[in-house]
Amino acid sequence: MQDKNNPLSPHLQIYKWQISSLLSITHRIVGVINILAITLICFLSLSLLLGAESYEIIHSFFKSFFGKFIIVGLCWTFSFHILNELRHLLWDLGYGFDLKVAKITGVIALLGSFILTILFYLIGKNIF
Amino acid sequence: MVQFNLPQNSKIEIGKHYQDKTNSKNIKKVNVYRWDPSSGQNPRIDTFEVDMDNCGPKVLDILFKIKNEIDPSLTFRRSCAHGVCGSCAMNIDGVNTLACIKSHTDINGDLNVYPLPHLKVVKDLIGDLTTLYKQYESIKPWLETEQTGEEKAELQQSQKDREKLDGYYECILCACCSTSCPSYWWNGEKYLGPAVLLQAYRWIQDSRDGNKKERLKKVADELKLYRCHTIMNCTNSCPKGLNPAKAIGSIKKMLATS
Repeated sequence: MQDKNNPLSPHLQIYKWQISSLLSITHRIVGVINILAITLICFLSLSLLLGAESYEIIHSFFKSFFGKFIIVGLCWTFSFHILNELRHLLWDLGYGFDLKVAKITGVIALLGSFILTILFYLIGKNIF
Repeated sequence: MVQFNLPQNSKIEIGKHYQDKTNSKNIKKVNVYRWDPSSGQNPRIDTFEVDMDNCGPKVLDILFKIKNEIDPSLTFRRSCAHGVCGSCAMNIDGVNTLACIKSHTDINGDLNVYPLPHLKVVKDLIGDLTTLYKQYESIKPWLETEQTGEEKAELQQSQKDREKLDGYYECILCACCSTSCPSYWWNGEKYLGPAVLLQAYRWIQDSRDGNKKERLKKVADELKLYRCHTIMNCTNSCPKGLNPAKAIGSIKKMLATS
């Protein structure tokens, strides 16, 4: 039965998303975004060595709507990644595999990430 | 390899529409994946209008009704019809399950029936599970002991040790879990998949088995085991209510602590 002419049955196209699978792929995507973000933040900090002028550029960028959107977005990606990573650590310890428990912790991680984002934003707003 | 789109010869076309001839008022539209190896055409989705007033409660009953009354060429595997043999595993309403124990009353709207995902289709709803069976064989799913068979004493197991197999020995190898796993879709040749890993754990856990270390060593592999990212589609789909994700997690923990 290794005939190449046999079609492949549909997979991603038809499979219903579960909370667990949705969070899993989000975790991956967000992880990639975070790595890029950390690199970018490093470069931005480095560029401050060039003097006040580059600080002004960065400052005005973060004051713009797009800049703010990116900051809030990154607050969320980091919050989500941290909370969902806690689930993974729990799994590595051997807990939380029960279907109901996994669903509840998943929803908590998702809701928690939004709450954390709002907190980060409010705290950050008062500092800067 | 990760390939999100279906290959050219697997693209699904719109098939025939079988109108209801019974004038029933209780009609359910059933969309079924069809592929005939002798036709040389692409797979298609046929739509059957089924009279639900004269049909049994399970999805398998619908499939039988279609086969008996509308299109006898419809092909699917089935045997026990009681959720024990695992033959009628298929993708129903987007999730893998056994057609014989899935109630069609749970599904609102049209009913979609596909073969198990990401397998070579043999015909209609039958997928080719050769790779999975080979992988199953590779974990040696039998008792390995130093006994020669000449001994007079039985190989005994305490009740407590026996209980360690609960939740694992019940697996009927229907392949619902493995074929629901995206990791298995992309790395099915190398990653063992939830069904086989659950079985591997079942033998690692067996107190009578004398080859625990070897078994663990064999499965401890970047591709064979660690392609599991706890997506948990497996546990979500298991028609027997087992937890392959937990079994895999337990193997990982054993390896980390031994």
